[in-house]
Amino acid sequence: MSMAELRTSSDLWDELLHTDGEPRPAAAELVQQLQTLGLAELQQRQDLAELDIVGMGITFTVYSDGRGIDRAWPFDIIPRVIAADEWRVIERGLVQRLRAINMFIDDVYHEQRVVADGVFPADLLDHSVNFRRECVGANPKFGVWAHISGSDLVRDADGTMYVLEDNLRVPSGVSYVLENRAISKRAFADLFAKQSILPVDAYTDELNRMLSSLAPEGVAEPTIAVLTPGIYNSAYFEHSFLAQRIGAALVEGVDLVVGDDECVYMRTIGGLERVHVIYRRVDDLFIDPEVFRDDSTLGVPGLMRAWKAGNVAIANAPGAGVADDKVVYAWVPDLIRYYLHEEPLLPNVPTYRCVYPDERQYVLDHIEELVVKPANESGGYGLIIGNRATRTELDETIAHIEADPRNWVAQPILALSTAPTLCDGAIEPRHVDLRPFILSGAGSYVSAGGLTRVALRRGSLVVNSSQGGGSKDTWIVEA
Amino acid sequence: MLLSRVADNLYWGARYLERAEDTARVVRSFTELILDLPLGVASSWEPLLAVVGGRDEFDAGHARAAEADIVRFLVADPSNGGSVVSSVASARENLRTTREVLPRDAWQAVNDMYLFTSRDTESGVDRRTRARFLSRVITDCQRLDGVLSGMMRRDQAYELWRLGQMIERADMTTRVLGVRAASLLSMPADADDHDEVQWMGVLRSVTAMQMYQRSRRGPIDGASVISFLLFDETFPRSIAGCVQRMRSALARLPRPEATLPAVDALEALLANLPATATDGTALDQSMDQLQLALADLDSCVYDTFVNEVV
Repeated sequence: MSMAELRTSSDLWDELLHTDGEPRPAAAELVQQLQTLGLAELQQRQDLAELDIVGMGITFTVYSDGRGIDRAWPFDIIPRVIAADEWRVIERGLVQRLRAINMFIDDVYHEQRVVADGVFPADLLDHSVNFRRECVGANPKFGVWAHISGSDLVRDADGTMYVLEDNLRVPSGVSYVLENRAISKRAFADLFAKQSILPVDAYTDELNRMLSSLAPEGVAEPTIAVLTPGIYNSAYFEHSFLAQRIGAALVEGVDLVVGDDECVYMRTIGGLERVHVIYRRVDDLFIDPEVFRDDSTLGVPGLMRAWKAGNVAIANAPGAGVADDKVVYAWVPDLIRYYLHEEPLLPNVPTYRCVYPDERQYVLDHIEELVVKPANESGGYGLIIGNRATRTELDETIAHIEADPRNWVAQPILALSTAPTLCDGAIEPRHVDLRPFILSGAGSYVSAGGLTRVALRRGSLVVNSSQGGGSKDTWIVEA
Repeated sequence: MLLSRVADNLYWGARYLERAEDTARVVRSFTELILDLPLGVASSWEPLLAVVGGRDEFDAGHARAAEADIVRFLVADPSNGGSVVSSVASARENLRTTREVLPRDAWQAVNDMYLFTSRDTESGVDRRTRARFLSRVITDCQRLDGVLSGMMRRDQAYELWRLGQMIERADMTTRVLGVRAASLLSMPADADDHDEVQWMGVLRSVTAMQMYQRSRRGPIDGASVISFLLFDETFPRSIAGCVQRMRSALARLPRPEATLPAVDALEALLANLPATATDGTALDQSMDQLQLALADLDSCVYDTFVNEVV
């Protein structure tokens, strides 16, 4: 059997290999196993994994021609490895970051000390499309607004791990972390037996514990519901998965009703039943047509009243998205220093804010060297990468920036790290990122690792599954 | 706690799946029966359409009613909502929205069956592979049934599933009796010397042959076949067996006082049937009445658990 050849590109950081092709210490067992198995055996395990994914019905939904199509979840058999000692620093950095972000959100909806003290510019808040006036003065338990977040991390050529963005609204992907692990345990059973790889399964129990802790005072055994936009949502699989794992009801807006007592009820076959905690996977503009978009059929009229009265907890809290904004992102290191009096443990990617004339000018002058992003979009739409865009695309983006500078930020083009990936019968380096999931309540919890997304197309930096990205299991390995 | 919307999806998921299984049993047994009958004995495939239903839709789309046309329509035609492949696909869609209340293996069983029926659809039509295809559908349905029996709490979701399953199953048994048994009864005594083969066919349509034989002494006889399929409460595919299970399901679900009267009505109809059927037309009519009573129960279930919840 031929030995599998693993190669890497000399000017990029590879997650498993040094530039000379030697394995990094935490990946040594894996690399050795890959080489011993050979390509044919590896491909066979990949094929088996794909069969499992189809058989287990692990899917995500994409839109094409106005229809939702259920696709098998794209998975690469070769895991991404992170050494446990590096991971512990990342974990602490994420907890630190979310503590500061939550304090910021709570402050923004109360006294706005951060503005009064001159740390955060007032006009940015005034113009934020994610600031919800309706949330001012609300008091979610523990002062926590962003209960579940999924920050995207990327590694540059020198090995530095940066936070690329904080997803505080309805981040998805955690179900695939758990499913990827189930599949990868089958594929590499010997390696799991041989070394210490942190388990990921505890996440849903921690989620359950955190959600339960949000219940209104005096409710010992809260009823939890996961609120989904429905079966055509791209993340429906995950909504259903999480509801299954925590024993929650999976509800749609039509299943809920707010009573005259300003409590939330669900319509069951035995009549109305009180709901105490809602894990909502619906964007906050759609959760209550009384308050936000009145054409929304996904929400529940009166939900905001019930929430503000303290009769139901909503995670993430409405309004939490104010800090999920590529503009606010640029201030997070300052927010950490301001609220916690600590230095950030995880660096931000340097970010140019087009709202400031000098930074905007820099962006316009150096657009070909930058990644330019709209501040409020998710899913990778509207983003351009300067050195890959056509002249027309660049000109269009320049026009957008000049028309609405607040909505645009730019960052240097990072040389995203790679990981060996099975592509068309060969092992090729492909770019990856990492989305860990952070739970915040009375305390904090970080998933062990997270979702490694991989750009399957050669040279591509786009890791979104809706646009040709795949995924890998992420191993936190005790050396 | 069971959401009304989820209850509705579960109930219909169970009905679709039972329909797929029952249709597979009926088509499989009919295929075996026709092969046994000598040339010259009427061997039309049209009674199958009458049993499974969909005669009007079939006629609208087909000029001929040859074996392949009818079997394709009933088994493999995705545009016929009642075909085996459509029922499996609908069941899967319904289960996709009820995954959080069913054991995970239940979803996998249905997903597997869906992947198989959508891939090997054609083998359900071809005579040489048909039995294998239909048997696989039946086995997969039994696998799901085993998952639910062996792994699921007897909660509201479970009882609602059983309720949907029993209503669909009873409905199919009434059709087999109303069409096949009634037409055999109506035949002149000397018209067909393959009587017992035809009655075996009736039993096999609901896979009751062996259990019937174990419960009776002596050779097959039409009247006792009918009474077995109507009244033997210990046989899970008889009407009485199904009705009994519907009652126990509803008794464990909310507001039985609103739903049980519809079961009482079914039982009253059943009790009024003659112990020994001799008249084909009368049997056909009473099966029609039972089907109407099943439809009443179905609306009552919808009103009680889905529609009336404010």
